Formats: sequence, C-alpha cells, structure tokens
Amino acid sequence: MTTFSSVLIANRGEIARRVILACREAGLRSIAVYSDADADAPYVRLADDAVRLGPTPASESYLSVERVIAAAVESGAEAIHPGYGFLSERSELARAVVDAGLVFIGPTADVMDAMGRKDRARAIAERAGVPVTPQYAVAAVPDDAYPVLVKAAAGGGGKGMRIVREASALAEAVEAAGREAASAFGDDTLLVETYVEAGRHVEVQVFGDEHGNVVHLFERDCSVQRRHQKVVEEAPAFGLTDELRRTLHESSVALCREVGYTGAGTVEFLVADDGAGGQRAYFLEMNTRLQVEHPVTEEVTGVDLVQWQLAVAAGEQLPLTQDEITATGHAMEVRVYAEDPYTGFLPQAGHVAAVAWPEHARVETDLLGDAEVSTAYDPMLGKIVVTGVDRGDARRAMVAALDDTGIFGITTNVGFVRRLVASGEFAAGGIHTAWLDSPASAALLEPPSLPELAVTAAARLWATYDVVEADGVFGSVDGWRSGGEPAPLTVVMTDETGHRWTSRLGPDDLADGGELAIVDHDGVAIAWEGQVWALELPDPMRGGHQRGAATDADVVSPMPGTVLRVDVREGDAVSAGQTLGVVEAMKMELPLSAPYDGTVSLVGAAVGDQVPIKHVLFTVDPATTPASGA
Amino acid sequence: MRELVDQLRERLATVRTGGSEAARSRHVARGKLLPRDRVDRLLDPGSPFLEIGALAAFGMYGAPDDDYAVPSAGVIAGIGRVSGRECVIVANDATVKGGTYFPMTVKKHLRAQTVARENHLPCLYLVESGGAFLPMQDEVFPDREHFGRIFYNQAQMSAMRIPQIAAVLGSSTAGGAYVPAMSDETVIVKEQGTIFLAGPPLVKAATGEVVTAEDLGGGDVHARTSGVVDHLADDDEHALQIVRSIVGTFERPTSEPAPHEPVPPREDPETLYDVVPVDGRTPYDVREVIRRVVDDSRLHEFKPLYGETLVCGFARIEGYPVAIVANNGILFSESALKGAHFVELANQRGIPLVFLQNITGFMVGQEYENRGIAKDGAKLVTAVASSVVPKFTVVIGGSYGAGNYGMCGRSYDPRFLWMWPNAKISVMGGEQAAAVLATVKRDGLEKRGEEWSADDEAAFRAPIREQFDEQGSAYYSSARLWDDGIIDPVDTRRVLAMGLQVATAVPVPEPRFGLFRM
Repeated sequence: MTTFSSVLIANRGEIARRVILACREAGLRSIAVYSDADADAPYVRLADDAVRLGPTPASESYLSVERVIAAAVESGAEAIHPGYGFLSERSELARAVVDAGLVFIGPTADVMDAMGRKDRARAIAERAGVPVTPQYAVAAVPDDAYPVLVKAAAGGGGKGMRIVREASALAEAVEAAGREAASAFGDDTLLVETYVEAGRHVEVQVFGDEHGNVVHLFERDCSVQRRHQKVVEEAPAFGLTDELRRTLHESSVALCREVGYTGAGTVEFLVADDGAGGQRAYFLEMNTRLQVEHPVTEEVTGVDLVQWQLAVAAGEQLPLTQDEITATGHAMEVRVYAEDPYTGFLPQAGHVAAVAWPEHARVETDLLGDAEVSTAYDPMLGKIVVTGVDRGDARRAMVAALDDTGIFGITTNVGFVRRLVASGEFAAGGIHTAWLDSPASAALLEPPSLPELAVTAAARLWATYDVVEADGVFGSVDGWRSGGEPAPLTVVMTDETGHRWTSRLGPDDLADGGELAIVDHDGVAIAWEGQVWALELPDPMRGGHQRGAATDADVVSPMPGTVLRVDVREGDAVSAGQTLGVVEAMKMELPLSAPYDGTVSLVGAAVGDQVPIKHVLFTVDPATTPASGA
Repeated sequence: MRELVDQLRERLATVRTGGSEAARSRHVARGKLLPRDRVDRLLDPGSPFLEIGALAAFGMYGAPDDDYAVPSAGVIAGIGRVSGRECVIVANDATVKGGTYFPMTVKKHLRAQTVARENHLPCLYLVESGGAFLPMQDEVFPDREHFGRIFYNQAQMSAMRIPQIAAVLGSSTAGGAYVPAMSDETVIVKEQGTIFLAGPPLVKAATGEVVTAEDLGGGDVHARTSGVVDHLADDDEHALQIVRSIVGTFERPTSEPAPHEPVPPREDPETLYDVVPVDGRTPYDVREVIRRVVDDSRLHEFKPLYGETLVCGFARIEGYPVAIVANNGILFSESALKGAHFVELANQRGIPLVFLQNITGFMVGQEYENRGIAKDGAKLVTAVASSVVPKFTVVIGGSYGAGNYGMCGRSYDPRFLWMWPNAKISVMGGEQAAAVLATVKRDGLEKRGEEWSADDEAAFRAPIREQFDEQGSAYYSSARLWDDGIIDPVDTRRVLAMGLQVATAVPVPEPRFGLFRM
C-alpha cells in the first residue's frame, strides 16, 4: 500500500481543474503546474500550490519530463497525475516518477510500453482473444484484401497512416508511411490491416487494481470525428447487439488481465457491419490513461473515475465489483474547440471577452471568462456533458445546452456542433468516423447564414440597452406621433460581411429575451444556437463608405512633387494600407497606400518623375467587390 | 368628440402615406427611403416627433373633391430628437409633385424655420425638390414671405449660431439647390443626389451644352470638385447617419430638463372626450379641461372670484411651470383686466403662458361699450402682445373676433398654436355674420321702400352661414397654416410639454409692456 497526501497534476486546463477538485474531495493537497502562458489560468489559482514549469512552448513545459519531476520534487508532491495528452502515455514519465520515489497515477511503465506500440498491442489482444482485423505481411497483401490500412507500428495521431484502395498504390503508400514513421517515431516498422469502411468508434472503459481485479464500466461511442479528433461522445454506444456488447466488454477485461493492467484504461474498437446483417468489432488500440470523454461513463455509471484512479494508485481495491457496476440512461458530451469548422477546422486564437456556459449541464472547462487563447496547446476549451433517459432525450438536452452556450471573442465550433447534434444524420445514428471528412457532411460544413431571428433579437437587445428614456417629453422613447401610430423603433446594423439588416421593433419589443450577448453602444455580439454573430451599428464617418466611388481605385499624388519610391509593380497583390510608393513634396515625404486589398493594375510614374497634383500614380483593382452599398 | 378624433386620425393617416402609390413605388425602387422613413431614421430610435402642419394644403389644390392632392403640402416638418438634441427637420416629399414648392409648401417651410429660430433649434433639411411649382410661381417666388425667405432665414439663423444642415437625397434644382448651398454642413448621396441651379434641359436651352445630371451636379462632382457639399454618402441611410454624426458635434446645449418631477393628472386625460361638448354653444367649466392637462390636476387659481369668465392660474405640465389663461365664457371688462394682470404676472415671474381658447368674443352692448370694454380688451391685447415669456395657444372651442386677439391668436406669435378637431375660427359666427349682412341688406331695401320676404332672407342667409362654417373649420385653418396642427385633445398635455421643453433653450428677456390705456 503506497499512500500519498499530495498530487501534482502534470497538465493544464479543464483536466487539471477536474483532478484538482477530485484531490480536494479526497483530502489531498493539489499542486498545479503551469507554463508562462497559463500563469493566470483559473486552475492555477484553484490548486493548493502551483509551480511554474517553464516558458510557453509545451516542449519546455508540459512535455518536459525533467521539469515535471523537478516541480514535483520542489513542491513536495508525492504522486503525479498526468491527465491526458502531453506526457500521459509516455512510459518515460511513469518511470521517472517511480525512480524519483513518487507514485504515478496510471498503469506501469511496462504496460504503457507494451500497449503503446500497435504491433505489440495487437499481439497481446490476439492472445487475449480480442477480435482484430485481418493482418497481412507488407510484401504479401492479397488482391482481394483492399482497401487496407498501412500504419506505423510505433505510431499514433494519424502519422504514418495511409488508406490504400488498390494494389497499385500500395508500394508508394508503404514508402511514404515508412518515411513518415521513421521521422516521427524513429521506427519505420509498418503494419498492413484490412481497412474497415464506415466503422463506428466504440470504446470500453476498463479499470484494474494492484490486487488483480479488473472491471469494465461499459462502453462509449465516439464516432463523430473529424481528422481522427473526437467531437461528440456518448455512453452507452447505441444500437449494438447484446452479443457484440458482451464480446467488447469481456475481451477488454481479458486484455487487461493479459497485461496486468492497473488504473483507468480504454480499449478502442471499430464496429462495422459484418456484411451478413450483423455487426463485427475490430480492436484498434488501448489508451493507457483517462480519456477526455470519461465524463459520459461517469454520468451513466455514477462512478467518479478520477477518485478511482486516486484510490487504485494508493493501492486500494477497486471500490466496486463488476456486478455492482450498472449503466443507467444516456450521456452525451461535446468538445468545445477554438477552431473554425468552416475553414477546415483551423485552430483559432485570440482574446475571449466573455463566456457563458449552460447552467443545466455538466461543464468541464477552465475557461471561465476573459482570457487569452493561444495556439500553443490543444484548442479544446471545454466539454459539455448532458444526460437523458435515452439517446433522444440526451440529444435534446445537448441541443438546449448548446443554445445556452456563448463564447465571445474567438471563433469556436459551438454553433457547428449544435447543428451537428440537431441534424437528422446524428439523430439517426448514422455517423461513422470518416463521415465528417467525407462529402456526406458537405451541407453541414457550409457556413450558416445569419438567421433573421438572431438579428431581431440583437436589435432588441441593443435597443433595450441603448434606447433609454432621457429628460423631458422629447426624451421618451415611445416613438410618439401626433394622431397616429407610434413610429417603429428601427435598428440598422451590419453583419461581418457588411450586409445591412433593418429591424423594426414595436414598443413591446424592449425586453430582454434571455439571449446570450454582449451589447454596447456600437453593436451586439449575440450567441444564437451556439454561433456567435457580431452586428454593429456602423460609424458613418468610418470605413469604406466615404471612399465608395469608382475612382477610388486610383491612388493619386496629393501634391505636385517628385516620385521618390515605387514599391510595387503592375500585377502585384497588395493589402489595404500597404505602401505603394512615396512622393516627395514641400519637404515632406508622402507615402501612398493601397485603399483596400487588391491588385495593382497600373503604375503611373517612375522614380524621379515630376508629377502634378492628382496625377494617378497607381490603380488598385479591388480583390472582391468593395462593400459599397452594403 | 371621439368621432372627430377618429376622423382626424384617419385624415392624418392618409396624408402620411404621401404621394400616389405609383410615385412611392418608383421612389422606393430607386433605393430611396420614403420621406417619413427618412425622418424616422434620422431621429434617435424611439424619439417622439412633433409634427408641424401635417394637414397643410388639405383640400386646397387639385380637384375640388380631392382633399389629398398635395398631402402635407409636399414637405414634412417637425421637431424630434437627433443625437440627443431637439432639431427641426424639414423633409421634401418627392413623391408629391416631385417635391416642388406650392404656396403652402413655402409657408410651411418658413413656419418650420420660424419655430427653429424662436427656439434655437438646429435645422436639418432633407432635400429632394424640383424648386418652385411653376404653374403657381407668382404665389411662391417674389414676395417677402416667399421662396427667397427660406435662404434669408438660413443665413440669419446661421448668424445666430443655429446650425443649418442639409442632406441632398435626390434632385435639388434651382431654388432647391440653394438649401444645401446655404447650409453650414452638407451631405449628398452619390449617384442619387444632384445640385444645380439649372438642370440639363435648361442648360441645353440656355447654352447648348449637353451634359448628364451626374456630371453637372452629382455627388462626386460636389464632394470632390465643386466643394458644394462636405460629405459623400452611399445611400439615404448612410447620409442620414452622417447627419446624425454632424448633430453629434454640436456642443451648444438646447432644452433643459423640467425643473420639477412630472406628475400625471389625477383625472385621466382620456375622459376629455366625455367632459367637453362638441357643440360650442353648450357651456361647460373649462377647469374640467385644465384638470386633465396639468400635473396632479393641480391649479393655483388667481382671482377665482373676480372676472369669472376667464380662468387664470399657475400649474405645471410635465414638470414645467405654466401660467394658464382659459376662457370660461364671454369676456367682460373684469375678465379682460384680470387677464391683463395675470399675463403681466406671468412675465414678472418668467413663467410661460398657456392660452386655452374657447371664446365667442367680448361682451357687446351699450352698457359695456360705454363702460369702455374696448380699452379693457385693449389692455389684455397689449399685455399678450408685449409678453416676453413663451406663449402657447390651444384652440379648444371657438375662436371668434377680438377674442382671438386677446387670447393669443396666431398674430400674437405664440410659439405654437394647436387646434382641437372641434375648434372653430372666424371673425364672427356664421349665424351672426348672416344676421349682420341680412340686416344691412334689409335696411338698404327698406330705404328704397322695397320688401324682403322671409324666404328670400333665408335664401340670402344660408350661403353666408355655409361659407363661415366651411372657412371656420379646424381643417380649413390647418390647411392654411393658421395653426401648427390639429391635435387629439388627449395629446394636449404632451404637445404643450414638448413646446415647453424646446422653449427652455432660449433665455427669457426682461419684460417691457406697451402703454395700457387706462
């Protein structure tokens, strides 16, 4: 029995917060670590102690075994919880922790090594009777085996992985995957397996202790993925036959027993039609850590998995036997990412001005308000978890929760996930792991247009905020007209594309409808079905308006003078404000800048030329139609 | 009364639709806002708008049965709040005869300018006008109170530091061209607004030059080359927002908030419909009206026991102190003396005067003439005419004869003069006029020894009565801008308060009265 009274959490963000709170509940001292970027993060303040790991880059902070161990020693931590991501699956850390005389909250380094390599893990799985995909020698793939998946034995995260649909493409794929694997993992060993099309991702939560007990805590479905990144997770997995479910559970437990697994782990499978009206499962890999999506399992089983991790690491027996573990209802989680789903899920960074998370949902996040989001780490901002009596119920709860979510200041996937969860495809359960990356999802990946209802709501909010009674009868805001109907309260706002929206409000419209929004005199940012829209009351004296005429393409000499510099050539692409050249006149050097983004179509003078006032020096054709009249 | 108010609302609704359906569709199809939408968009969101002369030109032009040939005289005028301060807005309605100026259009434009000058309100002109309505050029062009006076006023007000701002939202030709040119700061809509003294056809006729309207005086020309305008806007909406921005730069404060907390009347103003008889011959106590207009229905009555046919007293309307002078019967010498005293008192205290007019005239007859009712009436007229405090008049019933003068009719420069829909205005009642004229005629006939049958006399009297009835109606008055508009009696409190509020911008000078004939 190895007891400990303090835990260093070698992670950041929402999982750090999750473990800190679990430690507090268990009566353990929590120690946070942080990089410079996270010095002001809420989880750092939440922990009993906090230690700086290093500068912002993960390699010099959260990914540095050396610094994590040093922080633990410095802070007197007796155990280390790795969270997930970063060093959580590095046996190197597990070993170093033990070498330092501390407790590693997770499986042993040897088990991590064994399960960390795809070839070894597959061999162990086969030994334990876990169903696996047919495998082939690289040099002997039969013609009828296609499509096949070529993957690096040491790999992960999609690196060194290729789908090959016909024999002629195999050699090239093998070469490329091998090269990638060698550079990424220092090992070019490759596996070739049958590629399972349109499979669903189903994973089994397992737990083992040092006393030889192993249990499963049912399974999760994580089929909604984009580029191998999970977006929505659920427990239990829906639509599995009892037989398949039993196979998954039993084989996962068997796998753990085979390797002597301790702590929390997840056995991942692909589930696909077997071609004969039934379902088949294929072993994918085992994750030797807590999963991001662990809350959905907690919600259906009522088990606090982090508490179990702490207990098991302290050498205790698993709190429950297999028979005592039950699953009730349906839980669903979405991951909220700082990314733009409509530009290929590009990660987003910037200043978060305000955040509203749903009240009637479990929210795991460390983003609690005003904060900077950088691209230095994973773009996940938090998770929203809901439950229901069944899947439909949970799905409706999730839609409602996402409607109550508003993250202002940076682009997130909330609106997109809301559309996804509300979609017919998702409701029908027909989404497989490649769906979001396939043409089938094209409609969902089209950026939505601003709903008129959102505009009206924004107008109403603005009016409620800004149109307030002032002094005297003229200060009333009732739109009074002598002997007639009151004038509607008209609010004109422009959206981000420059489109102008006119909303006419009646006197009864001045009320807060409970929308999530940031409102000030100059505009409104409103969260509508998770999507944040910015509407502004344009400043008439600013922007392209005043320069809207056609002749604005011409950049003219503001004075008679000498051309001092010409910085562009015809055909050059220029951006608004970029200096095109310089004219010297009246002892001043006058830079001439591009009026908007576009292409230089004319250079009207050369260096040294004497030019009269209003001489056209450059003509810039706009990149797109200017916002005139918009 | 409710029926009269319903009729008023209906007529106002009709004039407020503006020009013909076809003209409005054409206007909108060109991407322009209708003039009333322009006014709404120029005003602060939710701002009230105190319209002036909404029924101007009602029944005056066009076919005899067409009351709406030139709705609102083709121009919208009124006071509303823009960027937090009250302004006078004058907006041409190009859907009505191209926004050209009829005689009443000129008169209304000038009236709006007078309101602006008297209350130091910035003027915002939304210009889209072809200039004078040529078939009536003799009635709009040359006289003192004709077209030229508009520009004279602009210069005068600019000199008084009352801002003159114009937005050219359409063709602004000839006389129309001078409104922006005479303004302090001007906006034009590109490819929509034009300013020129003479349009392309006239230019061609005069010099043979062939030129497009845009090249002659379009927004680009004036914003970049001629300097006639200061701001180039993309469209109506943008232009109006620029005007709002311009008004936002005015530092001089305008109206002042009410010095007292407003209190609603104890008696619901809606009940005015029930307490005021429509037939002017039915007497009632004017205090019933006052109670439904003033704060807390509270009146500090002056000399309640003397000259009882004129009710005088101090009260508040929406927190603004007022001195009320209200008819409660025919004017006798005592009533006139009491009124003169009270008007002087209001001037001493610097409290604005509110006249509630319902007057058939001064008492006539030997006794009264011999006792000098003429000089007592003159005292009241002198006091009213010499008043330096802002005056407001509401004709709530009859407005006849010299009673109109003593009770601050239009000639006595009230800041505003409003009429209730039941109001009547003429030199005397139709019946009396017919009787006077019949007597004169009968005397003439009898002198010549001729007889005049009762039937003949009735036939003689009827058209006179009809003429007086028609010309005495509130609509006849409002059409000719003898007043600033017909109001729903329920709005009396509000309309007066609006006038009182804008009047606070101008300090009240020291009182000084003309000679009172003793």
